Amino acid sequence: MAGNRPITRHLIDPRARARLSRAARVPDPSRRHFLGRGAAGAAAVAVLGPSFVAACGGDDGDSAGSGGGGGEGRLRVSNWPFYIDETFVSDFEAASGLSVSYKEDFNDNEEWFAKVKDSLDAGQDIGSDLVVPSEFMVARLIRLGWLDELDDANIPNKVNLRTDLLDSTIDAQRKYSAPYMSGMVGLAYNSSATGRDITSVEDLWDPAFSGRVSLFSDAQDGLGMVMLSLGDDPADPSTEAVQRAADKVAEEKDRGQIRRFTGNDYADDLASGNVAIAQAYSGDIVQLQADNPDLQFVVPEAGGTTFVDAMVIPTTTRNKAGAEQWIDFVYDRANYAKLIAYVQYVPVLSDMTADLQAVDPEVAANPLVNPPQEILDKLSIWPALTDEQDAEYTTIYADVTGE
Amino acid sequence: MAGTAAGGRRRSRVAPYAMVLPAVAYLGVFFVYPLWSLLRTSLSRNSGSVFLPTLEFDWAWSNYGDAFTDFRDQIVRSFVYAGLATAICIALAYPLAYVIAFKSGRYRNLLLGLVILPFFVTFLVRTLAWKTILADDGWVVSALDTVGLLPREGRLLSTSWGVVGGLVYNFLPFMVLPLYVSLEKIDPRLLEAAGDLYSTSWRGFRKVVVPLSMPGVIAGSLLVFIPASGDFVNAQYLGGTQNTMIGNVIQKQFLVVKDYPAAAALSFVLMAIILAAVLAYTRALGTDDLV
Repeated sequence: MAGNRPITRHLIDPRARARLSRAARVPDPSRRHFLGRGAAGAAAVAVLGPSFVAACGGDDGDSAGSGGGGGEGRLRVSNWPFYIDETFVSDFEAASGLSVSYKEDFNDNEEWFAKVKDSLDAGQDIGSDLVVPSEFMVARLIRLGWLDELDDANIPNKVNLRTDLLDSTIDAQRKYSAPYMSGMVGLAYNSSATGRDITSVEDLWDPAFSGRVSLFSDAQDGLGMVMLSLGDDPADPSTEAVQRAADKVAEEKDRGQIRRFTGNDYADDLASGNVAIAQAYSGDIVQLQADNPDLQFVVPEAGGTTFVDAMVIPTTTRNKAGAEQWIDFVYDRANYAKLIAYVQYVPVLSDMTADLQAVDPEVAANPLVNPPQEILDKLSIWPALTDEQDAEYTTIYADVTGE
Repeated sequence: MAGTAAGGRRRSRVAPYAMVLPAVAYLGVFFVYPLWSLLRTSLSRNSGSVFLPTLEFDWAWSNYGDAFTDFRDQIVRSFVYAGLATAICIALAYPLAYVIAFKSGRYRNLLLGLVILPFFVTFLVRTLAWKTILADDGWVVSALDTVGLLPREGRLLSTSWGVVGGLVYNFLPFMVLPLYVSLEKIDPRLLEAAGDLYSTSWRGFRKVVVPLSMPGVIAGSLLVFIPASGDFVNAQYLGGTQNTMIGNVIQKQFLVVKDYPAAAALSFVLMAIILAAVLAYTRALGTDDLV
């Protein structure tokens, strides 16, 4: 048991504490506490409710209060929690003259979709002029015809976008979506808990880690690397391959190997040592490493998957021009370097090394932020699925995750 | 009531209706209508596109059969957990409520305040705090390990005991308060009378206090059992992959799989079982002569 883990340290979530000190404008030297897209944000939203997070997040925005109308001088942005640099909103407001209501209320693609689909279908305002869903959701929104086409004339910085992202199967030439961040789905482990290096998905099933392994409940993020480990490629998925991977997970679940199926809330168990190996998002782990050097992130030998979150403008937007201005501001190399230095995910703009070095050489040198080619070669990406595939795979995996 | 003053007679006929009207209107809009729509959904079929299905009412009773067969494990588990939590709550709350009602003297209000103190912290935060307290390398787990009381998984989190423990913790005040109210109403002179009739204090407790506190036990049990059966937060955060409850299934069906008819049917199955259980319970403990 040993008293090396004073319990008081955990009574307040360290990230919530840092968050509060930030709200109080106390400089916080260890701001890498904040998890970008992921875990802490999810926990904070779950715990405190979106309105709290929005209220806190609004220390640099939302001056006009929430819920009001859109219109020319106002832009409403919904993003994942802790997925932006702290001065970004005020910098944008100063540059654009717009007043921004920035909300960190996007926490789960499917739950967000369940919440807004009726409004979008009826053409009613959803309270946001720009949102940042993951690509599979972008594909769905495009098919449903719920996204406005982007006017490239208003986004001159779009030339900075990585060409591999421009040639997307989900949105060719990026007519409707503007990638925001990319990241890797791999394995994170606590080397003091595992006692050895973890290199493959098979390590997840090692009886030595029985009950100390967590998997994503999302079908694509959860099953992708399992499919790769079984010799299937999520880039070219079939029902049989998805079912094979789901059966493998079910088998391990029944053995008691898997402790939890998680959303973005996996990192707490990992950091506290309850979980030895977790499926994880790269950026989260980069940030957690600042606190816990024992944490490691690997792309499994047989491969991992990559995800892209993209900015999109719903047809119900009240300020399309403002949203495009926002996208252009994100795509400015200097601005984007600051964003990456803060959230520590993989850039969607090409050749960011020099710009990152100018902001933070340590980030520029981090292989998880700036992955070398041999890692990139191991990454697979899910293609645009049809509605039927999307629903089928979700259902297959939901039957396993048991919820 | 027959003796109302003449002047008040006419007004009093209308006033009660006027007084319940706001609540009835509110419940009509926000309870009865959604319930009706849920019932329709549960008997409908999905048709049309995958992500924007149109629900077609079709007397689809098979939704109920499917809900029951597909998720029987979770349904059974939910009621076992809720029943266990209720029983443990009674065991913990009865002595506490007894002490507060009969023995606490001037500390009574303080103790009652302490019972409801946890409500000042959000339900979710309290549950998440348990994750810290019960962490695998925390002192609770190692203490239980030392005395050999750890479940076979070698941990508390992500086990049935984690979920049941969380349910007990979160719903305990709902047991304490009604128990306290019914115990506090007991006239101490009844106990004195029992003593005068040569009853031992244990027998007096059994024959006087316990029967008179039954309404509190029943009210408390309902307040714990019903929300506990439908709870999903404890299973989500304190449970593992083998401890999901029916609330988790319903949440996932509604928000992730988006099979609304299945989710609605499950909700009604849950409701029906709870109603049946509650009726059986109140019958068995029969309070008619006490209320």
